[in-house]
Amino acid sequence: MRNNAFSSRQIGLSLAALAIVVVYALPYIYLVSTSLKPASQVLQIPPSFWPQTVTLENYTRILGTATVPGSFANSVIVALTSTFLALVLAVPAAYGASFFRVRLSIYFMMFALITRMVPTVSLGVPLFTILKDVGLLDTHLGLILAHTTISLPLAVWLMSAFFESIPRELEEAARMDGCNRFQSFFLVVLPLVSSGMAIAALFCFIASWNEFLFALLLTADQAKTTPIVIAEFRTAYGLDWGPMTALATLYSLPVILITLLLQKQIIGGLTFGAVKG
Amino acid sequence: MKAERRFAYLMMAPACLFLLLLVAYPVLLLVYNSFFDVPLIDPSRREFIGLGNYIDVLQSSRVRESAGRTLRYTAFALSFEMLFGFGAALIFSALGRRSKWHRTIFTLPLMIPPIVAGLLWRFLLAQNTGLVNNFLAAIGIIDSPSDIAWLSDPAIVLYAVALPDIWITTSFVALIVYAGLQNIPQDQIEAAKIDGASAIRRFWHITLPTLRPVIAVVLIIRGVDAAKTFDLIWIQTQGGPRFQSEVLSMNIYQRMVRYGDLGEASASATLFTIVMVIIAVIAYKKIWSPDNEK
Repeated sequence: MRNNAFSSRQIGLSLAALAIVVVYALPYIYLVSTSLKPASQVLQIPPSFWPQTVTLENYTRILGTATVPGSFANSVIVALTSTFLALVLAVPAAYGASFFRVRLSIYFMMFALITRMVPTVSLGVPLFTILKDVGLLDTHLGLILAHTTISLPLAVWLMSAFFESIPRELEEAARMDGCNRFQSFFLVVLPLVSSGMAIAALFCFIASWNEFLFALLLTADQAKTTPIVIAEFRTAYGLDWGPMTALATLYSLPVILITLLLQKQIIGGLTFGAVKG
Repeated sequence: MKAERRFAYLMMAPACLFLLLLVAYPVLLLVYNSFFDVPLIDPSRREFIGLGNYIDVLQSSRVRESAGRTLRYTAFALSFEMLFGFGAALIFSALGRRSKWHRTIFTLPLMIPPIVAGLLWRFLLAQNTGLVNNFLAAIGIIDSPSDIAWLSDPAIVLYAVALPDIWITTSFVALIVYAGLQNIPQDQIEAAKIDGASAIRRFWHITLPTLRPVIAVVLIIRGVDAAKTFDLIWIQTQGGPRFQSEVLSMNIYQRMVRYGDLGEASASATLFTIVMVIIAVIAYKKIWSPDNEK
């Protein structure tokens, strides 16, 4: 195999892969590049890919608005809390459903799967009336509960794949040594899936961070998250592309940086269920 | 054994309770509401009208058209995602470990909020100032950067709004198919090579059948997500021009929020849910389990 590493076929493949990646990355680079342009260059004809002068004025304008800092705080609070809630509920559930072969567990997994098929809008419409009745419209808690309906099934499926990879003998050995079932779960099994939990947490966090329709339906101004503010920009301020691209960059960059750091684990988590299942 | 069962149920109970309260109950409420006419001004004076909302919804050409658009949007986005995703995965796989950096960059679009992706493509597709039209004009495909009105031409808007969808999710398909390709037994491929099978035959007879469960998962997950799409299109066109990019999610949202018709919104949302679950179950059974390993 080694001798044909530099054959023309390999070179062709490398070039193709490079081309795909460049075409793929360009739109996002252009978003960041636009956010660094002064207002006069943003809508220039013909457009230039790179800024002729780099400025942070779009960022200072964005951070100076009344809504943006608060919406960022809302996004963080909602995403962190719903991730926490989803994991607290999903990790034991996935353990119970996948580690012990009980009859109802397959129905539970099906239930979690079907939840994913329900269109967001179909859940959003009745959730709107329910949250309105109990006074939770436009509150953090209301949106946290709504986002957990997305992240909980996701975490259940991811975690059950991780639990299935752990030999049952370990749990049995722990109980021989005098652990009860809770102790063997917390002290023996959980530490083994800690990296799996980190991935599940990241996926839950992103699901909430990026979510739009629930936030649009269930919040107004107290609890609205940044995606809503991004969408409102067009109506409230006209098409102000400079600040809009700055806000979009600011909102997506943290997640992208985390992704780069945890790259290997994410691909693992992403493909685990699909390939092994 | 009994203690084990009790423990397993105890572990599942809180999550079950949550899903019952916040998924099952709302869906039941949705179905219940769909049988009522709920006045906007005084919702307590609701009136049972049986299947009235369903008849109204199915007779509404706007609902039918938005359902048709949802189908076309899903088919269009899904076929290009599969095509590009498969292509990229095969190239990465042929490169082996040297494709590590390519794959790293490929994970990034997955994490971009759809609202940001939609916004960005709206900017890219703008007439006159947009990068796409200027590029096409520069290489001579169109005469002037104002020639293609991607997001306001009724004939193409539905496909134009799918571009960011294809952009952010091709990588999902590529990464999962890539992982699936790594599980294909190399000795089978080698044996087929020795027997003189062409690359295309090897792909058709060995690669594709082995990838069947992976393809099923990708098709179902991506198909369901594409059919549910709201935010991507909303940020680009809000369903316009003249509803030409209004998909079903958006139609239901408008019926609920702009027209305040809870009954009809619930009826179409119920139909939407039923169809989605049925399609997903059929797809699951047809593609995934005929070999039934489980």
